[in-house]
Amino acid sequence: MTAGAAAIRKRARVQGAGLDRALPFLLLAPAVLIVLLVFLYPLYDGVRASLHFYRFGRALQNVGLDNYRDVLTDERFQQSMVVTLKFVALAVSIETVLGLGLALLCARQLPFIRFIRTVLIVPMVVTPVVVGIVFRLIYASDVGLFTAVSQHLGGNEVQILSKEGTAFLGLVALDVWEWTPLMFLILLAGVQSLPVEPFEAARVDGAGAWRTFLDHTLPMLRPVLAVAIVLRTIDAVATFDQIFVLTRGGPGTATQLISIYGYNTAFKFQQVGFAAAMLLMVALVTLAFAFLAVRLIRRSATA
Amino acid sequence: MRRALTLAAFVLVLLVALVPLYWMVQVSFKPNPEITQQGTLYPHTFTVDNYDRLFAQRSFGSYLRNSIVVTAASVAISLVLGSLAAYAIARFRLWRRMERRIGLALLTARIVPAVVIVVPVYLLVLQLGLLNTWLGLIIVYTAFNISFVVWMMESFFREIPVDLEEAAMVDGDSRLTAFRRIVLPLAAPGLAATAVFAVIVTFNEFLFALVLTSTPAAMTVPRGAATLIGRIDVDWGAMSAAGVIAALPIVLFALLVQRHLVRGLTFGAVK
Repeated sequence: MTAGAAAIRKRARVQGAGLDRALPFLLLAPAVLIVLLVFLYPLYDGVRASLHFYRFGRALQNVGLDNYRDVLTDERFQQSMVVTLKFVALAVSIETVLGLGLALLCARQLPFIRFIRTVLIVPMVVTPVVVGIVFRLIYASDVGLFTAVSQHLGGNEVQILSKEGTAFLGLVALDVWEWTPLMFLILLAGVQSLPVEPFEAARVDGAGAWRTFLDHTLPMLRPVLAVAIVLRTIDAVATFDQIFVLTRGGPGTATQLISIYGYNTAFKFQQVGFAAAMLLMVALVTLAFAFLAVRLIRRSATA
Repeated sequence: MRRALTLAAFVLVLLVALVPLYWMVQVSFKPNPEITQQGTLYPHTFTVDNYDRLFAQRSFGSYLRNSIVVTAASVAISLVLGSLAAYAIARFRLWRRMERRIGLALLTARIVPAVVIVVPVYLLVLQLGLLNTWLGLIIVYTAFNISFVVWMMESFFREIPVDLEEAAMVDGDSRLTAFRRIVLPLAAPGLAATAVFAVIVTFNEFLFALVLTSTPAAMTVPRGAATLIGRIDVDWGAMSAAGVIAALPIVLFALLVQRHLVRGLTFGAVK
């Protein structure tokens, strides 16, 4: 055998020939098929369901786009959209400000960081249903932490979940408790990777802390802030488990996010077509956010 | 001054993070009369009755078994299938960069919230006759995990130099042997982190468990814990004990891989 033939055989091995050429497709196929079955087929099925009128969980007749029109004119749908937007805007902005502040405060305190990082992992990995239980136990007017403390100080029972305003703020507080740690850890990684030179130059120029923050810190943190805020927003829109345990959307509709209303219409009131139409519209909006998130993730993952 | 301020903020953060959890844990060790009537700040009478009741009167043992089976099966399947797909995406150039598009499509599917497809997924599982079965949950969770595993493992595989496999292949290994002998051992830490992350997400999942299971023989731990709530007369003791049991294994698990946790939670955007 000549050296040339051996070299060709090596190349064939490396580049793949015969069955090897089909290899990437064989490797990809099972994963792609399962995801298609569970995500794409239901999406197609969801579109079909949204065009039908259901009673007692059975499709009775094709009603065209009526479900979509009904959703858009449904007052409770509009109300739950308002609650969702209020909740997301309030919770995500509080989490961002707190997380950023904490990250800047801790960035240079190395002995603190290890400890605080370990503790702060806990709220975000605890089962969301359990987070709901935790806050139910804190807010309860009879056995709750606030009531116990208030009674020790000579006060009365504290009512939180029975009033609309406080129940909503209680839900926001739950979300802030659970997810500020994630904001903090993401932004801490961002702050720690900032270059030192611009800050030294700013100090030499006599810039104050606030000026330096606006001129240097914030612009340089923009990419990582964008990823954190977009991911958190998508997640917050879909908040379900904690509310299901804490308030089921009540009192009234004070904490009825779109996810809870969608679930109720489909599974409690059995209006499957109406719910499918509603959730598909929400899906389109979140899909746009998801595309944005994927772009941002790809940029920072490869940076 | 700055140091004192930092220290104060530090203590405050720890208190806020831990006191809510402390409250649940201490309630779980109190007898019911003390929970509802005395408003004590710690158990004056210590008892494990609440835990006993969960297993004796409720089906918590069954919930735990279902959670373990469903989580283990779906994470194992998705690690195997997901790693193979991730390897293909990391190492092959297909027509019009199809492999890259597939990877991004999977990530997009994973990021879209579950609640928007819960109705059609319910109809699908209903049609397949898999409501109240392990298999129904395993299929759904596997799909969620696969899309995540592919994305994470692809980035871990990319960090391994191609030269190592090519050297092994020149020496006579086939592609898959090189993958098994060279790439997989090098990617083991990433694989472990991905596995633990998938376990956390799967064990914690509630919405699909709520919709797809309604019998004690199929309910998972979060699903079972939620059944303790919503009656007029809430059994606070059992509820808090259920919370402790559901949270404990996952917290311990998470602390094992804390270095990789943020990478997992941000889909690799933050390393």
